[in-house]
Amino acid sequence: MTLSTPVASPPQSPNRSTQARFISRGQLTARALYWLGWLAFSRRSVVTSGVEREVYALGIGALRLVASASLLVGLIAIFQVATQLAPYGAEPVSPRVVTWFAARELGPVVVAMLLVARSSAAIAGELASMNVTGEIDALRAMGLDPVKYLVSPKLLAVIIVLPALTLISDALILGGVWVGSTVFLGYSTDRFVSQIREAFLTRDLGVGIGKSIVFALIIAVIASDEGLSADRRASAIGEAATRAVVYSLILVLGADTFVNAIFYFIPGLI
Amino acid sequence: MLRVENLSGPLSAPVIHHVSLAVPSGATHLVIGPIHAGKSMLLRHIVGLEQPLSGRIYLEGARIDDAIDSETQLRRLRSRLGVVFEGSALISRISAVENVELPLLEHSRCSPAEARDTARELLAEVGMADAGNASADDLPRSGSRRIAIARALALRPAVLLLDEPTQGLDAGAAHEIDDLLGELQQRHGFGILIFSHEVRHAFGLATEIYVMADGTIIARGDRDELASSDNDVVRQLLHRRGTAA
Repeated sequence: MTLSTPVASPPQSPNRSTQARFISRGQLTARALYWLGWLAFSRRSVVTSGVEREVYALGIGALRLVASASLLVGLIAIFQVATQLAPYGAEPVSPRVVTWFAARELGPVVVAMLLVARSSAAIAGELASMNVTGEIDALRAMGLDPVKYLVSPKLLAVIIVLPALTLISDALILGGVWVGSTVFLGYSTDRFVSQIREAFLTRDLGVGIGKSIVFALIIAVIASDEGLSADRRASAIGEAATRAVVYSLILVLGADTFVNAIFYFIPGLI
Repeated sequence: MLRVENLSGPLSAPVIHHVSLAVPSGATHLVIGPIHAGKSMLLRHIVGLEQPLSGRIYLEGARIDDAIDSETQLRRLRSRLGVVFEGSALISRISAVENVELPLLEHSRCSPAEARDTARELLAEVGMADAGNASADDLPRSGSRRIAIARALALRPAVLLLDEPTQGLDAGAAHEIDDLLGELQQRHGFGILIFSHEVRHAFGLATEIYVMADGTIIARGDRDELASSDNDVVRQLLHRRGTAA
């Protein structure tokens, strides 16, 4: 299969138009997905070892951050919801409300935000710095596609890591809710467990995981595109990292809003 | 053989104008000039990283400038060019041996094990047999330059292009790189085109020297011809020999 984008496509100006950005990201997504398919059957160790390295850097490296943030988010959420429901005498259902919200919204969005903050800038900065040092040109000059060797391992790693971290985050948010509701609100663990059983549905978990895969695609493509299109000057590294974080945040929240709007306006969908 | 005919470019904003040169097999030529003379841009055109405004670039009879829109043809031609970029440009997150095996895995039909063996042989050939597992980030400058040469030679190119190959090296390490290039050329017979602002190269391997300034070739010839040139830029460049060598 031959893709239409020339291998030699030079870095584009960071001041490119919205249309140029859209086209560039579309092409990058197509190429990256194509190479992901190739990766599934590849016996070429350099790329597959790249995926392992990225999973470690993006996933294992983010574990402590995600774990501690998720526990705190669980605690914050239970306090906030309990405070809001108390005037209506509905405080006892607080764990149930938070649990449902955690699976569908809090887990995937919190992890996506954390990954944007931690990894989006890192991916864009790394690729931009490779542009500055000539590593991207070296790959192109050897007839090697930077998307294949640099972007597709990162994309696959983020697609593996973000849903996995979302599952962990969901569990730890519930951990925070349990601590908050038993230690501070005085409910029994039995009551907490029974509410979780009622509220925590597989389909909510599925929606959360589905969202996290979409977020992963957005984060990896935006960060890679900003890194690869950076100018060949030192200050472009920081600029690319900043743009990657800003665009990733906006697009992740935009995508989340879009999905939530669909579920709201088509009630029976899931 | 590499031949550049009346090349101007890049298409978007030309910085090189009407450049012509030729590098026969087994010959070593030098493009010398001050920083920002257009040397690196000329190299980028030769490897198909920039679209020329006009002119032609031939490698073994095939046109590189014509292949820039054809991924397959460009890949085939690039596999006949070995390139050592300024600062080595090794892929920093992988090991030295992985850097060398990259082009082998991409362009040849060899198995990963065969590619690894060939890469190790190439590392031994450039005197870096023990550095295979080192991360490209951890190598000293002279070491990374040798690894970059091994990577450029992986596919047995017709022409080896080197951008500032000894920049940042001390005199001893720079001479070792020159000696290594000479040995490798004798063994494999490829042509060498060096792009540099260091005058010392004019008194080393190069048999033909092109002096570049403001994007054009302002003089060419062997070192004796250039030494007797009455062009001010050429005289100034060659005059620096005593301090730069």
